[in-house]
Amino acid sequence: MIKKIVSKNFDIKDSHKLKVARENDRYSSLKKLFSMSPEAVLDEVDKSGLRGKGGGGASAGAKWKLIPNPSDKPTYLIVNADESEPGTFKDRQILEYDPHLLIEGIICSSYAIKSNHAYIYIRGEYVFWAKRLQTAIDEAYEAGILGDNVLGYDYKLEVTLHRGAGAYICGEKSALVESLEGKRGHPRLKPKQKEPEWFFDCPSVVNNVETISSVPFIIKEGFEAYRAYGTEKNPGTMLFGMSGHIKNPGIYELEFGTNMLEFINKIGGGMRDGKKLKALVPGGSSCHVLKADELEGITLDYESLKAHGSSLGTGGMILMDETVFMPKVVKNLFEFYHHESCGQCTPCREGVSWSDKLMGKILDGNGTKKDLDTLLSLSFLLNGKSICVFAPSVAFIIDSYINKFKDEFYSLVK
Amino acid sequence: MAIITVDGREINVKDDALLIDELLANDVSVPHFCYHPALGKDGNCRMCMVEIEGQKRPQIACDTPVKDGMIIRTQSENIARVKRQMLELELVNHPIDCPICDQAGECSLQNFYMEAGLYDSRVDIAKNKKQKHVDLGANVILDQERCVLCTRCVRFTSNITKTHELGVVVRNDHSFISTFPGIKLSNPYAMNVIDLCPVGALTSKDFRFTQRVWFLKPQEAICDGCSRGCSLLVDHNREKYKDDLIYRYRPKHNDAVNGYFICDYGRLNYKKENDNRLKFAYIRGMESEFEYATLKLERLLKRYNSKALLLISPTLSLEEIYRLKKLSQKLDLDINSFDENFDESFGDDMLRQNDKTPNRRAIELQGIESSKEDLQKKLKDKDFVLLINRADVDMIKDLGYDGSIGVLSSSDFLHKDKLDIIIPVASHTQRDGTFINCDDFIQYSKCQIKRDIESIKILDLVEGILNDGVSTCEAVWDSGLKEENFLKDINFNDVRFNSIKIELK
Repeated sequence: MIKKIVSKNFDIKDSHKLKVARENDRYSSLKKLFSMSPEAVLDEVDKSGLRGKGGGGASAGAKWKLIPNPSDKPTYLIVNADESEPGTFKDRQILEYDPHLLIEGIICSSYAIKSNHAYIYIRGEYVFWAKRLQTAIDEAYEAGILGDNVLGYDYKLEVTLHRGAGAYICGEKSALVESLEGKRGHPRLKPKQKEPEWFFDCPSVVNNVETISSVPFIIKEGFEAYRAYGTEKNPGTMLFGMSGHIKNPGIYELEFGTNMLEFINKIGGGMRDGKKLKALVPGGSSCHVLKADELEGITLDYESLKAHGSSLGTGGMILMDETVFMPKVVKNLFEFYHHESCGQCTPCREGVSWSDKLMGKILDGNGTKKDLDTLLSLSFLLNGKSICVFAPSVAFIIDSYINKFKDEFYSLVK
Repeated sequence: MAIITVDGREINVKDDALLIDELLANDVSVPHFCYHPALGKDGNCRMCMVEIEGQKRPQIACDTPVKDGMIIRTQSENIARVKRQMLELELVNHPIDCPICDQAGECSLQNFYMEAGLYDSRVDIAKNKKQKHVDLGANVILDQERCVLCTRCVRFTSNITKTHELGVVVRNDHSFISTFPGIKLSNPYAMNVIDLCPVGALTSKDFRFTQRVWFLKPQEAICDGCSRGCSLLVDHNREKYKDDLIYRYRPKHNDAVNGYFICDYGRLNYKKENDNRLKFAYIRGMESEFEYATLKLERLLKRYNSKALLLISPTLSLEEIYRLKKLSQKLDLDINSFDENFDESFGDDMLRQNDKTPNRRAIELQGIESSKEDLQKKLKDKDFVLLINRADVDMIKDLGYDGSIGVLSSSDFLHKDKLDIIIPVASHTQRDGTFINCDDFIQYSKCQIKRDIESIKILDLVEGILNDGVSTCEAVWDSGLKEENFLKDINFNDVRFNSIKIELK
């Protein structure tokens, strides 16, 4: 069930150090990489069907192909390491145990889009990981892996690590780019046609850490080797996380299409203290919640979860046992989203804060049925009327939790 | 050209135009806060949502380019709900203190609520408390609670003036507009943010609490602060037992000249119309009957003839200049218009011009001498100098002139007792007239406020002397002004409504 591609070196002692990393295959894809043309590399990644692993699941190859070739402006690769979705902690493992895999991925990806400068935007709270990654980058520069001639080949690549200032919304790619440009981290209006992100008006690709880290395997082993794993539409593997009331919480790399219940019961070991599973959120808190009795037959891939009324998201599952009182979960999530709403557009700025305050009122015992109706009506405006997908996440929470656990919410109100 | 259908009505629109521009141009009601034609789209207020056939979700009109054959609905049930709920959200943390808010009456939030809201409030939670009175500088007061965070003001300072004083700080519903630490809002156009603000968050220190806006009567005028000649709206009102006073100037949208903005100097220039006015006619320092003084002036001019000089000002209108020129020809008076009202530090590359008079170009075009040398030469054999619409007596005295002096002025000045005759004339907003700006645009200033202060229009004064029945601007044009070379292809009636560029052949 477990297939280690990205997490191959996680269990090796000192795997974050360059020497150990090189002994364990890191940077071994570069020889093949530089024997290929950038177009061929891009083609390889496109054929592999690699999907973005930051939550959206868009095809990485298609995204890279949006970069004009040749481009009259410099192009940039931006790695999104602003991992702050509640329940998600997969990128952190890569940064902690195998930072050189990420750097190798950056070299492969930058080469494909003909970029000579890559930026890593890391979450501000990841102090330890930022230091570890910076150390790895420094090591790579010293060893001549980064710099004017990557490993002696005729290719120049600079990598800059940039720390965020602690905003969840900067994980949204356009807000991330704004923030990286030195502005306030506000998401941009979505373009009408598909186009690359514009970093200082230059075409750029923004990809998640795990996506970039998956590239070296594809280059080295070829796209068919990657496609051998997973399903037709979801090739490869993904780092799935389990947290909450599970016996063995942690990050496990699985093929796409693995049965969810098997994963929970076999690898996760079932719920703690013999309690029963009540509900789970499949991929970070921004997905629809699933009740325990809805899990039958769900496989871990984008299509299956979509068909079951939720989404795969980042693959960070939060499992809740029968002791959990759902209104409190919702309040907890609302507090998070209220705190993190960037305040740019009206539905999110006012709607999320109002939801939070209403939920507080209900939990204090002062709520009425009308307040729940108000909450449910707010989801109308939160869903699809805002600039980015932050507000819709809150709408999903309102809709799915209140409708699926009606009794618990209505027991609180007069 | 493209054709779109809006609520069943077909509209011809420009290709690639923004949908919101075309909707507003065709009188389709589209509530919006953040969009402003001068500042562009920002898409943060989410009020301008419309349904577009073929699109799953409602779209914001400010971020939608028009396409031929688009079918738009602005009145559907879904859109009505979006607007209503969006307004409800804007008002969750809004203090709703309209009775004490200066913006009431011209507030977008109020208007849109009356148009699209009209629901019963469901908000029964405590509102966020923010600062009610923040002095941002440059006469701008911020009330953070009323703010809808449309960021028009922020975008004005970053896109238009490029001074970057304002920004949004803090996240979520606690965010507010602020200057950066240690910095005040200070640029020559800062007060435009007050007009830009769709709600009562930014108000003018100068205007607030003086008038309810629905009492004000706007009249159109041309700014006389510099040679740009920006289009203005003059807001005036006559309160019971008071004179008809001007309470503020606002910019009037005019793409040919000033766009949507005016400078703060021009905006506050209304004060000279109210204050420090010359109230009486004087003869040799003694208050005099008004009619007696005008007759006296006529006698003086007729007596001195070529010994008299008309020193006219570039603040006069084109018609006044033409008539004074005519007067000088008829009575054989000398005429000159030397004026030093330049300020090298005033002009900039936006609107302001170093020349702080509105009509110097008209004097040039009518061929009236304005050099200092000419004035010095002419002063030598003069016994009487009449300063018209100016009172810089010291200037001609400095040039060595020590004969009789008369002054026609609207504002008061010192040392009146030394002068032979002083007559108050109508100020800029009391009389109409055309002005030619620095870029050769001829514009008509319509504003004619009737004040209690006794004063005479220069056109009337000249007519009294020439006795030819020509006392209105239109009559002046008909009496020969339109024959002037530079006005050949221009019709007075067109000038009334548009800024027209004069073609010099």
